[in-house]
Amino acid sequence: MGDGGRDSTNFWPKWGGKLNVLNPASYHYKKSKSTAVFLFILIMIAGLLMNLGLSSLTDMDGFYADKVRELHDPHVSITMNSASYKAAYRDFLSSYPGVQEVETERVILLSSATIPFYKYDLGYGIRTMVLDADAARNIAPVKLIEAASIEYKDGIYIPYTLKVRGGYELGDNFPVTYRDKQYTYRVAGFFESTLMGTPKLDMLKLYLSQASYLQLSKDAGPAAQGTLMSAILTDSEQSGTLLMDYYRAFPQSNETVIPGFWAADTHMAEDGGAFIVYFVSLILVVFAAVMVLVSLLVIKFRVTDRIETGMVGIGVLKAMGYTRLQIVFMYVVPFIWLAFAASVAGVAVSCAVMPLYGNMVSALAGLVWNGSAHAVFTLACVGMVTFLVFAVAYLSAAPIYRLHPVEALRGGIKSHNFKRNYLPLSRTRGGVHWLLACKTTLAAGRQNLLLGCIMAAVTFASVFSVILYYNTAMDKTALFRMLGSETPDVGIQVESGVDSLQLLAAIRQMAGVNKAILMESIPTVIQGQNVSTEIIDQFEYMDNQTVYEGRYPLYDNEIAVTGKLAGLLGKTIGDSIKVEAVNGSYIYLITGLNQSFSAEGKGASLTLTGVNHLIPGLKGMSINVYLQEGSKTAFMQEVQAEYGNLIRSLTDVNESKESGTQVYGSALLAVMTVILSISVLVVVLILFLVIKTSILKRRRDVGILKVAGYTSFQLIAQLTLSIIPVTIAGVVAGGALGALYTNAILELLLADAGISRVRFIVPMPYIAMLCTVIVAFSCLVSLFVARRIKGVTPYVLITE
Amino acid sequence: MPNKILRTEKLCKTFSTGGNQQHVLKNLDLEIPEGDFTVIMGSSGSGKSTLLYALSGMDKPTLGEIYFDGKNITRYTEDQLAVFRRTHCGFVFQQTHLLDHMSLMDNVLASGLLMNRNRRALTAKAEQLLTQVGLPASSWGKFPSQLSGGEAQRAGMVRACINDPLVLFADEPTGALNSASSDSVLDVMTGMNRGGQSIVMVTHDVRTALRGSRILYLRDGTIYGDLTLGAFQDEQDGGRRERLNEFLAEMGW
Repeated sequence: MGDGGRDSTNFWPKWGGKLNVLNPASYHYKKSKSTAVFLFILIMIAGLLMNLGLSSLTDMDGFYADKVRELHDPHVSITMNSASYKAAYRDFLSSYPGVQEVETERVILLSSATIPFYKYDLGYGIRTMVLDADAARNIAPVKLIEAASIEYKDGIYIPYTLKVRGGYELGDNFPVTYRDKQYTYRVAGFFESTLMGTPKLDMLKLYLSQASYLQLSKDAGPAAQGTLMSAILTDSEQSGTLLMDYYRAFPQSNETVIPGFWAADTHMAEDGGAFIVYFVSLILVVFAAVMVLVSLLVIKFRVTDRIETGMVGIGVLKAMGYTRLQIVFMYVVPFIWLAFAASVAGVAVSCAVMPLYGNMVSALAGLVWNGSAHAVFTLACVGMVTFLVFAVAYLSAAPIYRLHPVEALRGGIKSHNFKRNYLPLSRTRGGVHWLLACKTTLAAGRQNLLLGCIMAAVTFASVFSVILYYNTAMDKTALFRMLGSETPDVGIQVESGVDSLQLLAAIRQMAGVNKAILMESIPTVIQGQNVSTEIIDQFEYMDNQTVYEGRYPLYDNEIAVTGKLAGLLGKTIGDSIKVEAVNGSYIYLITGLNQSFSAEGKGASLTLTGVNHLIPGLKGMSINVYLQEGSKTAFMQEVQAEYGNLIRSLTDVNESKESGTQVYGSALLAVMTVILSISVLVVVLILFLVIKTSILKRRRDVGILKVAGYTSFQLIAQLTLSIIPVTIAGVVAGGALGALYTNAILELLLADAGISRVRFIVPMPYIAMLCTVIVAFSCLVSLFVARRIKGVTPYVLITE
Repeated sequence: MPNKILRTEKLCKTFSTGGNQQHVLKNLDLEIPEGDFTVIMGSSGSGKSTLLYALSGMDKPTLGEIYFDGKNITRYTEDQLAVFRRTHCGFVFQQTHLLDHMSLMDNVLASGLLMNRNRRALTAKAEQLLTQVGLPASSWGKFPSQLSGGEAQRAGMVRACINDPLVLFADEPTGALNSASSDSVLDVMTGMNRGGQSIVMVTHDVRTALRGSRILYLRDGTIYGDLTLGAFQDEQDGGRRERLNEFLAEMGW
């Protein structure tokens, strides 16, 4: 160190020219291999999840816009029965500012074809558009992701969703049932479509070879002949505005007036498709943050522990002339290297598994997702984790600055400042092993706090994922309620031109019908915001009462709006708002706040009489039927027989919703599996670390007790018993927090998506079971790891 | 003729370190009568502590047999040895080895309760023993870090005796104590021995060794000398000190 004094401005001589920062690191790793391995795994997982989550969150931002560009897909698609088509519609689109390209083509509109969305499924009704694969087109040309090597005479090209979600492969049979007639085709290829690639926007696109197309067109008849208008804009942000202006220009643009009318824009597709990816990615990032937190807790524990156990060593180093900074860095540097290496490994693994994650995103969005790691996020992940580790390790090692060499050489100031002798053996009832275990628990406060916090964190994460999975895969009631989606037994689409109110009255009279409501949705504008407005004839009949403050409208001058919209408008219950629709506007009084997932959470609800101020004569073409138990099939057959000519489609809503949300269940099952697996790993590693450290620190105590005649098994049991109360406390705390706050956290995470109130079912039996399994598993791991006590002999008192 | 509480036959202990074998005890034959106060002396590395720990079942010999109260304990398993120690042996160490996170009383009871005794009777016995060794009630709730070296060692002796061991093993019990504390600890041990307690003690301190009734001198892993001093009365009793000094000089001490 003498050399170090010669040039105090040079950093390395100041270190004495002898101390290589790698030396203490390698020494540290050798001394505590298990901690190093534990932290490496934990930080690597955190880096992996964080990079995956952040990369996909970023990629999803421009994903739809890029996809539209890549596929040369339309920003806006409008279709209708060919008989209702007018050239003025196309002219409007062509002359609209910012429209780059417009194309019109003849299609077959199957208002409700039944197709098995999932292979081997019975199928459910989806509005389907069939196009001629051989026809020339500029917008959305047929670009196959995968095509059969042989040409099928009855070949059909189907959306990519049906491959990744539905399980179809090339060459599979694909039956399409329309008006009781089944057409069976062979899957010849898969394509992507942003607007009509999934049933989310209520339209699925299929391509048939010219011969099959012509045959189907002939069979379906003139009523199924449709016209598709597609428009590409210079700026995709304009797509919503263009569609709204179209509605203003052509107020009759709804199914009531124009048969087969359907319209969608890129924003609508993005709203539905990106949400679940966004949600899953967010969960990964949050879980990664939990992992980082756990790592930081362990580092804090280890540094403090190492300083305490190596106090004399610090005194020796100080006596030798090492500076305080040098000694502090001996404790900090190993963790920096470890965090850096682990986070680099984590992001490297994330790059490797990105294609697998991409498959899941593709299944969720229905589009091929070639996500890749972003250099910025990769560096940010590594940098952030390394910095946090440095900060925590440094702050934990900071007491070295205040440590006097003599004090350190004497082993530091003994902190055995026991104010109370807890559980004195002479007075406390209970077995000696149990009492000694409790004493050990009370004596190792900091270690137990660490263990308790980590057990609480992993239990919380596990409970969170179980609640998510339960509500998206096992009992979807709360999911539908959250999304503001009704869950009737049967959905009836009324044929254009039919008096839906009359049919509704007739349905309500049918046997087995519990209740029936008329529903419709129209686009409106409220203070410049595009709003999806639902029209219901009787709100009190709805199963999903999504109003969480105030009430649904009762009179024609009342309206309920979503909490998000109210926030955007700065309005609340009792305020008035002006609602504009295609051919009119009206001022309504806000009576309640609800939530909706559609139109970016910007929604409103009006009564059937109320909407007549905006669109006179609008009645709504969807009837939701809620049945008494056990009568669904018979009811559907009866309706078909009695009112078949008045009905365009009849859908088993439960089944179709079940199928439609199956992909969410699958995605969250994957997320739950990942979280539970990592939780198991963390439980094993933390118990291993804590017990091993405990045995190392208590070698002398174990030796003393063995001399006194305690057997290895008794000491193993004592150590396990000393860990179990803390484990149970952590698990109970984590379980309780998960049960109580999962909904609150989801509300926080989903606030941007327009969800103000989440009331997911908290399946207490499952949570209790999960917590019991974690505790039981912890006991087993503890007993297994504590077996190392066998290796400690009374001889340790002589040799150490 | 008193009963032989401890007996060894061809006792050997070998340590292997880095490929080198160190023979610490070599074919050692020994008999210790009941009620004796046996002191083991010898230079550093002579095998004193190794012999003590082998006799007490804390360590297993490499070869040979050890008979404790007539039973061969050589082939006991670790758990059998643990039960054996709790039932028959008491230990006093140089470093006291009290459990830091327990009070003095709890340190004593942690050993006693292992025998499943009546808690109230055990506590009363602990209180009696602690009072006997000069530890007042005010110290019973204190933690080891709050005790002086002599107090801690006396507490260690009470812990060692709480289960009425057949043999009390002591390894340099006064090694870390000043002379006043040493005397108080040795007085306690002498008193116990007078009450019939068998004691085997390792020491390198001549004053401490004077308390013994028999001195065994170890050299190179074997018993090099054996001196019978008889029961201790006082340090000058019957030329006790001179006899020991002569013996040690003869041994090359």
